[in-house]
Amino acid sequence: MPGRASASTSVRADRRVAGSKVADRFDGPPGGGKTGRDVRDEGQVGEAVGVGRRAPVLSVQQVSKRFGAVEALVGVDLVVRPHEVVALVGDNGAGKSTLAKIISGVLQPDAGLLEIGGEPVALPSPSDAHQAGVATVFQDYALCENLDVTANLFLGRELRERTLMREGEMERVARRILHDLSSRIPAVRTPVSHLSAGQRQTVAIARTLIGSPRLVVLDEPTAALSVAHTAEILTHIERLRELGLGVVLISHNLNDVRAVSDRIEVLRHGRNNGSFDARHVSQEELLAAITGATQVATSSTSDALL
Amino acid sequence: MSGSQSSLRGANRALVVETVKRYGGLTQVELTAATGLSPATVSSIVKELLAAGAVDTHSTIRSGRRAQLVTIARQTGLAAGVDVGPRHLRVALGDVTREIVAEQTLPLPADHRADTTLDRVALLVIDLLERVGATIDELVGLGVGLPAPVEPGTGLVTVRGLLRGWDEVPVVHVLSKRLAKPVLVDNNANLGALAESRFGAARGYQDAVYVAAGAGTGAGIILSGHLHRGFGGTAGEIGHVQVDPQGRICRCGSRGCLDTVVGYPALVEPLTVSHGTLTLRDLVQHAVDGDPGCRQVVADAGAVIGGVVAGMAMVVNPQCVVIGGELAETGDLLVQPMREAISRRVPLNQMVTLDVVPGDLGVRAKVLGALALVLEATDQAGADGAGPGVGVDVREG
Repeated sequence: MPGRASASTSVRADRRVAGSKVADRFDGPPGGGKTGRDVRDEGQVGEAVGVGRRAPVLSVQQVSKRFGAVEALVGVDLVVRPHEVVALVGDNGAGKSTLAKIISGVLQPDAGLLEIGGEPVALPSPSDAHQAGVATVFQDYALCENLDVTANLFLGRELRERTLMREGEMERVARRILHDLSSRIPAVRTPVSHLSAGQRQTVAIARTLIGSPRLVVLDEPTAALSVAHTAEILTHIERLRELGLGVVLISHNLNDVRAVSDRIEVLRHGRNNGSFDARHVSQEELLAAITGATQVATSSTSDALL
Repeated sequence: MSGSQSSLRGANRALVVETVKRYGGLTQVELTAATGLSPATVSSIVKELLAAGAVDTHSTIRSGRRAQLVTIARQTGLAAGVDVGPRHLRVALGDVTREIVAEQTLPLPADHRADTTLDRVALLVIDLLERVGATIDELVGLGVGLPAPVEPGTGLVTVRGLLRGWDEVPVVHVLSKRLAKPVLVDNNANLGALAESRFGAARGYQDAVYVAAGAGTGAGIILSGHLHRGFGGTAGEIGHVQVDPQGRICRCGSRGCLDTVVGYPALVEPLTVSHGTLTLRDLVQHAVDGDPGCRQVVADAGAVIGGVVAGMAMVVNPQCVVIGGELAETGDLLVQPMREAISRRVPLNQMVTLDVVPGDLGVRAKVLGALALVLEATDQAGADGAGPGVGVDVREG
């Protein structure tokens, strides 16, 4: 599977686990999770029923990334738990998309540690990331215009019986996933070129549910959508959370972010600049953190500034 | 498969109608794919339904080609119902026959601002009209429910501080200026009461009380079949009845209001250590799934709300109490303790018993009530021989 060529082939994360196939490990309190994941290729989510603070599905520790003189990320930390929507906000060039690309295997960090389900991993390519349970919706959706909805959902992961594709089964799963998302796409055999922008975004989100994802990364999912389409996408995000997934949401729209997130992480000049409980933070506090009116003195910022 | 030709035809017809309803508007090609019927069957069924007046078709363009958009036939005029909640916006379009033709929910941030939210209301209404192939000309009016007591003429919140960021916003004026349509604004518990009394669990009762238990608690009162708003619009504002004289200070400035005991922050606070921070939906979901801590919280809330509703039942003497709102999604978990609290305190009437029942319309009650509000005003206006919007603020744009 051709992974996207990463811009940098330099030093990779210092710790790497070959294969990236990581066993489930919920170290949470009792009742913290059932780990049945025999539903692969069914588009279902092995939901961790039960409540309590669960072990993180993703933990990014002290990740740094440079592009020449540009410090895209400097010692950034990020933790996402199952059943949690974490928003990444920040100005243009704050490093949001770079971080998303590192989590989804498109870029390799220069330094730092990535853990998925409590296990350190290296994600040398997007397909490795997908194997490890990270599904990403990119800003341009990355859909094939000429193919229909079902073919796009299963692209590269078609269900096969020996050499034949199980079309009927794939259609059935596609229909169920779209229904689970309460989507308004009428037909799973509609070519993507016939869909509206909002419907394409829905297909892109639905695609993340194929396989056994644990973490969904959404890069600007509501940019350039009408209010009705934004409403649908935000409802889908709530649904992903209810399915027990961890969600990383990158957005410029603080209204949308505050509507669906549990936690908001602010990035500024490639550094963490505050972590807020979305229920209590005000728009003003967020803007202050984004613009740098308030600065959170973490060890990395002070180190970096010295 | 055996079965007569005509019954198969009937089933297919029903399938087409159901599918059109679900998606709002579909082209014939999409309808073929969505129903799995052959293009010829769909085409002939659509023709039949069109002749019978069950669907409408409009010319539209899909990916550069001309297509026929099929929508549910509407009696002249659509109304929009809007339910503005603390964390969501719900918009529904319905016609004079109370048929819902389109519906959409939008999650909102905590403490959302009036300007942003009302802007989204206007845009969402337009988007939904477009979804069903209608234009703004077909809109007869807009009903809006707010989670605070309001003055119906202007849509101003009558008690300061209850809805942060909405004080002194004349909602009627803002929206009627924006859409150039009549706008009616009411408290959303009142609208829930209206909906349950017209099409829900309180149908057939002349005197009923509707209780919405969610992020906050409110109630609506139906007396002799009419909504009783009170002189200043605060009737049924049970969220601000004092239940704990030593309690916390409420948003309204008073101490120990019901909302400070069973409102959203108070409900999830005792679960923070064991469960982490929960949303209201999490709490309800976990309670339904059998989590003991969450069940306890919901049941205790039911008993406390029941105590206040008992007092209300004593004053109003309704035939039935209908329980709605997000917490009521837990069913008997909430309703049973309420029932017990009410029956313990309200003296048993020998002749008529008081029914305490869960609502039929769930969390959609408020938005359906907003629709009913507009449609009843339109009917009324029609009966009086005037155009829609009598008694409604349609001030200069």
